[in-house]
Amino acid sequence: MNLFQRAIRSCFRKPVKSLLLLLVVCMISLLFLSGMASRSANIVAKDSTRQAIGAGFLLEYNPESRSRRLEEASQKILERNPDGQGSYGRVHLKNVTVMGSENLMITTDHSFESLKSDDIEKIAAVEGIADYNITTVPTAVKQANFERVEDADADQTNDFQGVALIGNREMSMDANVLSGNVTILEGRMTTKDDTNVCVISRELAEKNQLEVGDQLQFHSVKAEEPVQEATIVGIYQVRERMEPYMSGDTYRSENVIFTDLHFPEKVEQDDPLYEKAYFKVANVDDYDTVKEAIRKTDINWQWYDLIDNNGNLDTMASNFNDLEKISNTLLLVVGGAGFVILFLIFIFWIKNRTNEIGILLSIGIAKGKIFLQILTEAALAGIFALALSFLIAPAVSHAAADALAGQQAGQAELQEEMDAGKVATDYQAPELTITNVETEITSAMLLADGLSVGTLIVLSTCAASVLIFRKNPKDILSEMS
Amino acid sequence: MLLEAKNVLYSYKSNRDKIVLKNVSAAFGEATFYAIVGSSGSGKTTFLSLLAGLDHPVSGTILYNGEDIRKKGLNNHRKHNISLVFQNYNLIDYLTTEENVKLGGKKDAEKLLREVGIPGEDWKRNVLQLSGGQQQRVAIARALASEAKVLLADEPTGNLDEETADEIIDLLKKTAHELGKCVIVVTHSKHLAGEAEMRKKIKQNEKYPLPNAERCGMISHVETVVQHSSQKEETDEK
Repeated sequence: MNLFQRAIRSCFRKPVKSLLLLLVVCMISLLFLSGMASRSANIVAKDSTRQAIGAGFLLEYNPESRSRRLEEASQKILERNPDGQGSYGRVHLKNVTVMGSENLMITTDHSFESLKSDDIEKIAAVEGIADYNITTVPTAVKQANFERVEDADADQTNDFQGVALIGNREMSMDANVLSGNVTILEGRMTTKDDTNVCVISRELAEKNQLEVGDQLQFHSVKAEEPVQEATIVGIYQVRERMEPYMSGDTYRSENVIFTDLHFPEKVEQDDPLYEKAYFKVANVDDYDTVKEAIRKTDINWQWYDLIDNNGNLDTMASNFNDLEKISNTLLLVVGGAGFVILFLIFIFWIKNRTNEIGILLSIGIAKGKIFLQILTEAALAGIFALALSFLIAPAVSHAAADALAGQQAGQAELQEEMDAGKVATDYQAPELTITNVETEITSAMLLADGLSVGTLIVLSTCAASVLIFRKNPKDILSEMS
Repeated sequence: MLLEAKNVLYSYKSNRDKIVLKNVSAAFGEATFYAIVGSSGSGKTTFLSLLAGLDHPVSGTILYNGEDIRKKGLNNHRKHNISLVFQNYNLIDYLTTEENVKLGGKKDAEKLLREVGIPGEDWKRNVLQLSGGQQQRVAIARALASEAKVLLADEPTGNLDEETADEIIDLLKKTAHELGKCVIVVTHSKHLAGEAEMRKKIKQNEKYPLPNAERCGMISHVETVVQHSSQKEETDEK
C-alpha cells in the first residue's frame, strides 16, 4: 500500500479532520480571492473614474508677470512723456482728477490682458490633448429686452446695472460645469460651432418667463448701440451660487449668462478678453507626458501659469488608493493569519497522528514518505477547498467589494457633512458616488490564489512536521505508549 | 548469528549521565523463540528498540548477519530485516483488517489472516472493531507479511486475557518453529518467558558497579537461560 492510497483512505475515512482543513483552506482561499478581486476592482474603478472625470490643464496669465509687464510699460511711457501721459505696448497712462487731486490712471487694452489665441492653439495642438476650451472674463453688458435679478437691499452705486456674459468655446469644459456646480436644467450648453447663443440661469428665466428659443438683447455698458441678439439654447441651475467676480448685482450668480466664445466681444465692440483656457487630456494615464510636452511648446511661458486641473483626481485617487491599501493589507493579513491557522491545524493534526507515524516508522516507512502522505492529504483537502472557493468566490468577492465601496461612500458622506456650509470656491469637487463596483475573478487570480494557498499549505505542513519528525522513532513510540 | 548486540551502551539524549544499558551483548539465531526478561525499568524495551533499529546505541553495535545495521541505514533495517509487534497492537485506525496486514509487506494478506485465525467476515471491517486478541493477531499477521527474518515483540500478551495470550504465544512459537523466524519477545510475564526456548535476562550488574551506578541504577548484563521443552538449563553469559 503506497502513500497515496493511505492518504486517500485517511482523507475519506477520517472526514472530520479533512472537513476542518477543507473549510479553513476554503475560507483562506475565499479571502485571498476577495482581496485580489477588490484590489482589481479598485484599480479598474479608479481608472474608469479618472477617465470619466477627465483631467486637464488650465492656462492663465501669471499675475506677477502681468504686474512686471505693466510696470515696464508704465516706465517706458514716463520716460517718453514728460507729463506722464501716453501709451506703450497696449498700456495707457492718463491723468485723472479724483476728489480734487490729479492722479495717473493706468488702463490696458483687452489684447494686453487676454490670453493669446496663437499660444492657445499651439498648446491645443500638442499630442494627447483631446479638446480645449477658452473662457472669457465675465463681461459686464447691459440687457435690452429683459430684467436682471436684483437684490433690493444691495448697494448698486458702482454697479453697471447690467448682467455678466461668460463666453466659452465649449461650455461643457467651463470650470463651473467641470466642478459640477452648474448643470443644465433645460436645453443644452453652448458649443464651439454656436454663434449668438446663450444659456441663462433658472432664476433669470423665471423672472422674465423666458424659455429656450427666446431672444435676448444686449448692448455695451458704454453705448446703447449696437444691440446684439442671442438665442437662449439652455437654462442652467447651480448647486451653490457662483462667487461674484466683482461687487454689485451685475456679477451676481443669477445674472451670469453663458454665451458662445465670441458673443461678449460683439456686445462690447472690443477685442476678445480670454481669461483662461482649459485643455482636456485624452488619456489620464498620459497626464504627465502631456504636461511635459506642453511645457516644451514654443510660447513665452513667463507670461503664463499652467495649472494642474486634477485636484478632483487626486482626491479620488487618494480614496481609491486607500481602498487598494485596504485590499493589499487584507491579502497580507490573510496570508499571515492563514499560515498561523494552518500551522496550528497541522500541529493538532500531526500530534493526533503520533501513533500512526510511530507505526509507519516502525515498519520501515521513511519519514520523508510519511511527510509526503500528510502533505498529500492536505493537498487533497486543499484541492477540494480551492474548487469550492472558486465556485463561490464571484459572489463573495462582489459582496466584499461592495462592502469596501460602501466604506468609501461612507467616508465621502462624512466629508460632505464636514464640507457643508462652506462658501463655494472656484473649484468644487464633482459629486462622485460609487453605486456599483464590478468585480471579476480572472484565471490569473485563480492561479495566484492556488499558488498562494498551496504555498501556505506546504509551509505550514513543513513547519508543523518539524516538531515531530525531528524526534527519532523510539521517542515517537514512547509518546504512543 | 542472525542478529547480534555487541557491547551496547545506551543513555538518554536528554540525560547522557543516566546510563540505561552498559556493555550489553547478546546474539540471536534463526528459528528460535527468545524472551528478554527483566524487572520494570531494567531497559528491556530500550534493548528491543536498539535491536529494531528504532534508535542507535551510544556505543557498541547491532549486527544483522554480521553487518552493522547503521551501514545500510536503520530505516532499511526496519523495513527489510525486522518486523515489530507491540503490546497495544499499533494498528492504523483508518485502515481495514486486510489493509493493515498489507501495510506490513507484499505477502498474501488473506492467507496470513486465515493463518492467524481471523475470520473472513472481519477482513474488510475497520480494524478497531475487532477484539483486543484479534487485533494482536492482525498485528502478528502484519509482522508476518514482511519478508523479515526477525520478529520483535514488546509485551505482546500484556493487554490480553490468559486464554487469548496463550493463543498469541502459540502463534509466536509457530512463527519461530514453522516459519523459521527469529522471534524475540520482551516481557515480564513469567508465563510467556517460560514458553521461550531461550531467555535473556537484563538485570542490574552488581558485580561491576560503575561510579554513577547509584545514580542510574540500571547497569545491566545479559544472562542467557536456555530451556527446552524437556529440560531447562541456565548459564550465565557474563
